[in-house]
Amino acid sequence: MKKIKSLLIANRGEIAIRISETAKKMGIKTYGIKTSKEPNAFYLQHIDEIIDFTEVLSDIPEFLDINRIIFSIKEHNIDAVHPGYGYLAENPYFAQKCIENKIIFIGPTPDAIYKLGNKTIAKQLASTHQVPLLQGSNGNIRDSKHAKQIARKIGYPVILKAASGGGGRGMRIVEHEKDIEKMFRMAQNEADKAFSDPSVFMEKYVRNPRHIEFQVLADHHGNIIHLGERECSIQRKHQKLIEESPSVALNNELRSKMSKAAINIAKASKYRNAGTVEFLLDESGNFYFMEMNTRIQVEHPVTEMVTGIDLVEWQIRIAQGEKLTIKQQDVKLNGWAIECRINAEDVQSGFTPYLGTIEKIQFNKSKYCRFDSGITDGSMVTANFDSMLAKLICFGDTREKAIINSLNALNRLQILSIKTTIPFCKAVLNHPKFKKGEISTSFITKDMKQLYHQEPDEELIAAFWAALNHNVQLDIEDKTYVDYEKGKNMTPWLLNKRLKSL
Amino acid sequence: MMVSRSKSKKQKFISCTEKNKKYEFVNPKELYIKQGKENIPIEIVSDKQGFVYIVWKKRKYLVDIIEKNQNQYEILVNGVSYSISVESPFSYKRRKYLAKNKEASKVEKIQAPMPGKIIEFLVEENQEIKEGEPLLILEAMKMQNEIISNIHGKIKNINFNAEDTVMKDDVLIEVEK
Repeated sequence: MKKIKSLLIANRGEIAIRISETAKKMGIKTYGIKTSKEPNAFYLQHIDEIIDFTEVLSDIPEFLDINRIIFSIKEHNIDAVHPGYGYLAENPYFAQKCIENKIIFIGPTPDAIYKLGNKTIAKQLASTHQVPLLQGSNGNIRDSKHAKQIARKIGYPVILKAASGGGGRGMRIVEHEKDIEKMFRMAQNEADKAFSDPSVFMEKYVRNPRHIEFQVLADHHGNIIHLGERECSIQRKHQKLIEESPSVALNNELRSKMSKAAINIAKASKYRNAGTVEFLLDESGNFYFMEMNTRIQVEHPVTEMVTGIDLVEWQIRIAQGEKLTIKQQDVKLNGWAIECRINAEDVQSGFTPYLGTIEKIQFNKSKYCRFDSGITDGSMVTANFDSMLAKLICFGDTREKAIINSLNALNRLQILSIKTTIPFCKAVLNHPKFKKGEISTSFITKDMKQLYHQEPDEELIAAFWAALNHNVQLDIEDKTYVDYEKGKNMTPWLLNKRLKSL
Repeated sequence: MMVSRSKSKKQKFISCTEKNKKYEFVNPKELYIKQGKENIPIEIVSDKQGFVYIVWKKRKYLVDIIEKNQNQYEILVNGVSYSISVESPFSYKRRKYLAKNKEASKVEKIQAPMPGKIIEFLVEENQEIKEGEPLLILEAMKMQNEIISNIHGKIKNINFNAEDTVMKDDVLIEVEK
């Protein structure tokens, strides 16, 4: 395998910048894609050569346009492509196309992506390699009658999942038998629309589980290591919002058991490159394999912070055939890291996407913080892209200190003119149960009374600021025209007369 | 002179929140907030980058007007939004008067909580519905969301069709209480 000298980053936002930083460190020339939806995007400033897709007229979104991307890589004679997360990161067809065109795809083989991306196959793989699984349908459900049958067997509540799904999409929890047929049809419909595959399978639904995942690295020479766990239990509708490493729920014994299972899955699929094995951990310490993500994850920085290992660097080094020089016993988890996702979302109205222009953003860095951001002053938040803008990752010697450092950092992060998840993250980090580490994937719905943090008297300050601005506004208007009502004495008699005439 | 007469007077502003809580300020330009009998001074600080902060009772608040329409203000304080309408004593009385009439309205409007595409309606016009019953499925960012009724009532109007694309706050269904 040849050494990578140039790299196309087939992604945008913070991850494109993240990848470019490591590439630069390694002396690799970076290429990026400019789209008409975001021609002035911040990530383009971090890339050596821009490939212009602004004039492409196509219904296929730029970062999913396999033929065009392959063509551009060849046209510019680029050695490798890094897909980031989302888009083509877990598309076996794209990985295959790269091989056919002698392009290094930074990720696993098409076969591993396919097998692990298909949840049904992935589960079969797990069950034959001593990895614990949740009771379920062991395959796709045929029809709504079949769904009812299986649900009866494993007992309610159950969860329906799209076989080709991911990222928390295409899942439905069914509590009662009366809803099963309707929910099954909805899940099928949704799966078909979102993933062009209506296959749905069923599992026992675990109440209040924790989401624990293991980072693994595997090279072409049969070496596999794990880099410890991440806990991503703070989720809303299966979307992760706050992640940390390590997890309070794991002791060394459980960590060793779970990491063995993670490595088993990786071995079984002949995995190479960086990957993440996701588990559910129930209240009694039983864990169940959920899925393996065959890409760099959004939350990878927490692992980097506690291990001191650059995951993107290892992705590239493995892709160019290098041997893993890190031995399992060298991997130590030092201290604690927490990541807060900064999304353009209106937490006060159900986390709906908040669109607009970011007038200004300001963050005062400190040695305990890393700020992976895809935005700058004037960046636009449009419906074309994901709502995640940036990630704030903070370190502490202990979990307690990591929480304090995160809260201080959130207070130093200011974004003007759009609403973000900052007040939400503050509310979680201030929550007594979160501080004690008593969290689960139902934390937001079960334990949080208010989803955003408020300082005392905020409403009063808002009321005052509105009144003052209005006062100033009226003064300006006063100078430009004469309002006959102003300056008149408002008597109760006059007031009542006016109200009657309304 | 006509103009100076009103200026020398006490100007009162009433800030009303969404939940009709009211805050009164007399001459806000004098930069204090009255608490009990005490006038506690306010300091307005703006930094080089143009961020504006209010300092009050030793606390620092980042303030940002994200929307303004006549006397309606949408204000972010430390990233949390507050809808405030600023009224004069007269307009406040008018507002209360109008609100009274509005309460009598028997129609509840079900609005789109987010922009998206309608997949299907699960109810028909004239159908009786219960609180918590799903009304329609709205797809936003490739997720299908059930829109649930927050009241008991009867479907009066369905304003869209399946496959229609809707904006946030569009009135999808009107329910008679």
